[in-house]
Amino acid sequence: MHVIVIGVVSLITMENEEEEEVIGEVEAMKSVYESDCIILRSIPPHFHLSLKPRTADVQSHQFVEVVLDVQATPQYPKEPPSVALLDCKGLDQQRQNYLLNHIKTKANELSPGLMLVALCEEAAEKLSAMNHPDGDCPLCLFPLVPEDHQSETLPFMKLMSCFHCFHSECIIRWWNWLQSSKQTGSATSNNAAAHPNHGNSEKLEEGVGNCPVCRKPFHAKDLDHVLDLVGSHSSRVSLNNDEVNNDEIILQSEHEIIRKQRFEAILCLQTENNGLIEPKKDLVILPGMYLPQQVTAPESTLTKEPDEIEQHERDPPAVGSGKHVSGTSNGSSSSGNRNFGARRNRGRSDHHSSSTARHPRKPVQQWVRRDNP
Amino acid sequence: MTSSSAASRKNLSKIACNRLQKELVEWQVNPPAGFKHKVTDNLQRWVIEVAGAPGTLYSNETYQLQVDFPENYPMEAPQVIFLHPAPLHPHIYSNGHICLDILYDSWSPAMTVSSICISILSMLSSSTVKQRPEDNDRYVKNCRNGRSPRRQGGGSMMTKYDN
Repeated sequence: MHVIVIGVVSLITMENEEEEEVIGEVEAMKSVYESDCIILRSIPPHFHLSLKPRTADVQSHQFVEVVLDVQATPQYPKEPPSVALLDCKGLDQQRQNYLLNHIKTKANELSPGLMLVALCEEAAEKLSAMNHPDGDCPLCLFPLVPEDHQSETLPFMKLMSCFHCFHSECIIRWWNWLQSSKQTGSATSNNAAAHPNHGNSEKLEEGVGNCPVCRKPFHAKDLDHVLDLVGSHSSRVSLNNDEVNNDEIILQSEHEIIRKQRFEAILCLQTENNGLIEPKKDLVILPGMYLPQQVTAPESTLTKEPDEIEQHERDPPAVGSGKHVSGTSNGSSSSGNRNFGARRNRGRSDHHSSSTARHPRKPVQQWVRRDNP
Repeated sequence: MTSSSAASRKNLSKIACNRLQKELVEWQVNPPAGFKHKVTDNLQRWVIEVAGAPGTLYSNETYQLQVDFPENYPMEAPQVIFLHPAPLHPHIYSNGHICLDILYDSWSPAMTVSSICISILSMLSSSTVKQRPEDNDRYVKNCRNGRSPRRQGGGSMMTKYDN
């Protein structure tokens, strides 16, 4: 009898310990995710977690978002918790299932351990890997991100309110169409059928539109950045004289030349490492290695000699300090990093310089020559 | 009546052409259930056969839809009408014109022929009575433009089918 009582007591303390561990885990969740995590119940744990992709501190690089509902049974941690998607943006049914299955598989793997934080981290990792828009532009029906990697990828954008993505050109064409129909109003009767009704027109005047896919209202200022982009794109196509001159001035500016050289230095380093982006540890003598470049690049340095030298002295340490290099080259490496948005954005802004950078100075030759001595 | 208005129609823009070709390919791969596209070489006018959904008032009946695309499709909605004989339905006039908001004010360029078809079938399927719109005679008599009803109908007839 006595023995049995002791047994029960130890069982109770064991359960209490376990319970305390779970409570501790929920506390950990709170401190890791802060306001993103809403604890509905501590024992057994039940919480909502709002997850955003890790690669996107910048909102404009974010194409997906989910709210997870994680609910454990009293048997937790012996039994894995159940996970459901409460809300999500930017994921179609197929991708939702894919993400959910991945989390569930992971939960079974981690079972019967305490897993809440680890599981949520796994979900965040997976979501980050899926942070790219999927499918076709709803307006032209051509893929947002061509799968064959050969067709030209057109710039696209996302509405902040619903995360629906469109080719920038397509949505601007539609927006301009709405604006012009609004202006011509009901005066034209032939195309009247396509004109927005009164309710819509009023909204447009307030600078609000409705997503063509889900009709969720969005602010016209969401489109501002692409309006600029499409503007510059079309001016590049039409080759307006003033714009060309402007481009030339910019491309030949000292700042741009310095930028090109820095880019080439990184490119060389990458070539040297056979595409590897981690700089070698023994490249401490970097400044000397880049000296020949100064000699072989007189055309751009005729008048700017002192600045150039100064630049080169400043430049190499920046190249050598691993973080800088890997950060920059990650952005332009094609595989591994699935953050298409970030990549594209960078490609867009660097488009002029990166393509023109190779022309005037023939980096390959320089590289060969530099290698020889 | 409808052919005359279609003949005066402007040719499809390049963008409209690309988009329609894309839609046609998608349709061939994955046609909406209950619909058959009658193949012609005219990209600007599609004739589509609709089969009434089983278990509805229109089961075992087939009708023909004519879809005419404007120059600026998909910014502008296509004109969609039933060819004679049009189904008896409270929102379909005897001349084939259809009262459906997505074909007019609620059109969005993200919609496709396929999504229109599904909306029309859904409109047919939800009908509980086979009859013409109340103002059918007046409407058909006054209708000159060959275009499906809009505003003239007063809006009260419009069926909301968002899909």
